[in-house]
Amino acid sequence: MAAIDIRAVDKSFQKLKVLHSVDLSIDKGEFIVLVGPSGCGKSTLLRMIAGLEEVTGGEIVIGGKRVNDLPPKERNLAMVFQSYALYPHMTVAGNMSYSLRLRKIAKEKIATAVAGAADILGLAPLVERRPRQLSGGQRQRVAMGRAIVREPQAFLWDEPLSNLDARLREQMRAEIKKLHRRLGATSIYVTHDQIEAMTLADRIVAMEAGTIQQIGSPEDLYERPANRFVAGFIGSPAMNFLDAQAAPANAGHARLVTEDGLTFEAIPGLELPSSRQLTIGIRPEHVLLGEAAGEGAKEATVDLVEPTGMGAIVHFRFADISHQAYHLGRASWRAGDSVKVALPTERLHLFDATDGRRLN
Amino acid sequence: MTASASLEQAQPDRRPLKRLGLRVEPYLYSAPAVIIVATVMLVPLVIGMTYAFRDIRLLNPFSGGFVGLDNFRRLAADGDFYLALKNTVFWTAASVFFQFTLGLILALLLNRPFAGRGIAQALVFLPWAVPSFLSGLDWAWLFNPVVGPIPHWLTALGVMSQPENILSDPDLAMWGPIVANVWWGIPFFAITMLAALQSIPADIYEAASIDGAGPFERFRAITLPFLAPTIAIAVLLRTVWIANFADLIVVMTNGGPADRTQIVASYIFTTAFRRLDFGYASAIAMVLLVLLMIYSLLIVILRQTLLARA
Repeated sequence: MAAIDIRAVDKSFQKLKVLHSVDLSIDKGEFIVLVGPSGCGKSTLLRMIAGLEEVTGGEIVIGGKRVNDLPPKERNLAMVFQSYALYPHMTVAGNMSYSLRLRKIAKEKIATAVAGAADILGLAPLVERRPRQLSGGQRQRVAMGRAIVREPQAFLWDEPLSNLDARLREQMRAEIKKLHRRLGATSIYVTHDQIEAMTLADRIVAMEAGTIQQIGSPEDLYERPANRFVAGFIGSPAMNFLDAQAAPANAGHARLVTEDGLTFEAIPGLELPSSRQLTIGIRPEHVLLGEAAGEGAKEATVDLVEPTGMGAIVHFRFADISHQAYHLGRASWRAGDSVKVALPTERLHLFDATDGRRLN
Repeated sequence: MTASASLEQAQPDRRPLKRLGLRVEPYLYSAPAVIIVATVMLVPLVIGMTYAFRDIRLLNPFSGGFVGLDNFRRLAADGDFYLALKNTVFWTAASVFFQFTLGLILALLLNRPFAGRGIAQALVFLPWAVPSFLSGLDWAWLFNPVVGPIPHWLTALGVMSQPENILSDPDLAMWGPIVANVWWGIPFFAITMLAALQSIPADIYEAASIDGAGPFERFRAITLPFLAPTIAIAVLLRTVWIANFADLIVVMTNGGPADRTQIVASYIFTTAFRRLDFGYASAIAMVLLVLLMIYSLLIVILRQTLLARA
């Protein structure tokens, strides 16, 4: 188990630059999740740590040792692939023991390690089978088993749950978390699924277009997103955004007026030059509807109601822009109804309209 | 679909003509192909096999009678046949071995990206497009010291003491057609192996390199097991094909010098079309057919056991 340092790492494929000076410091035993949309460079970064892609610039340090020029086999890392990448002509035991056999470890030790891993993962009755005789979830476990038999410096996970159905994915997610608690190994996990990121991570690294947008605990990213990208990416249903302008200040506190004429009085502790353009963000679960909206609420039209069982996602419309609210419990509104909506000031996130960075 | 199918089962169609029509439909569709195969292949094959039991010599108007197993008795005592059989084994083994080894190396080279790979792949396929007859003539000339460069090169390299035609050297003559055959047959293996290589998922190699496998170990533990079924089929096909392949030998050496390059296939050709002894040629052909069938059977059994183990 080791700490991993990524220092000013660049990556280009021919002329296309996919990573721009990425810095990331990972502690021993930490569970880091790299999250972002497709093509943001998260998988490339993981593959560079594994040694599957060359480092164009900067350096990667694992356990205090610069590994830029080391081939994968000398980095002592374990990786779980999205496709599992099991060896089809080897049994489950053969797949799990392959790395140990290559290291010429004593047969009895290998047997113990494989039996131990099979036990942890519930694969004990399947060790003599071949991958094609296993279900998707079982293959996923074998891929994990192959990683945990070797006590590597770190585990690398490349979207390991993407090929599973929703229920199995939830189950395996919980198992990965338990496994991490049990082994305490440094882990780097790549996903585009923000729920996986939120549930698994000690710290989340949100990436877009080859740069890190924010590093922080799941709560940090959810409660204080550093910019508009992170605000929009983390959270489901996604955050609502309204364009607004700062109005002449009122006793030193900012006043905001949105396009649709909503006014927010006195944002505490925020001073803004008048007429500055900005974006207001509010999470659907913080939007108050109907009775809860109370005094000063705006009228909006309900577009669509999507019940989720635990609650309902209510799509409503101010002027001509559609927004979403998450209403806990049963929603009695129907499409076309008029509904009172309130956006509580203390729940607002404010972002610069041009560069998207957080203002409050 | 399932609903209508179960309906038909529940209520069998009562019109017999339609029922008959449905039953013979698949046979009607396949009839043209079956008829063509039967008339141009099966019937001649059976007729040809009956020749083995008759005395058919084109230049002898009194021949044509049934002779039972006489042709086979003659064959059992024919020293030329045993020499040809020995030559066939050498010719086939050497050709297949070099075609396969060089073809696999070529496929491995073509499987990694480099500039101009598309053109290289097309060029590699080119020898296959040359008619075997032409390539035999070409190589015969290349080996001829009067018009070809190869003897002079070999002499310059010190391999030969003076530029001679290896096709007229009884100890070396067989290598002439083998070299031509290897050149001509490499594309078959290169293309088959390349197709098989490209079907191996890249992430399995990545997983192996992370597990600690170097290039040689990855080849042994991943490439070979993945290629094994294709290798088995390709080698089987090529072996049967090459054992039957007389063109190059007939064109380049005509079996000589002193029958040192005579293989069974060229011996059949010579017996039938030079000596015009069709009865005896047919008997030799039947023995070759049986030998190749036994060989194919063994390879198929080997492949099945390998696949069952995998």
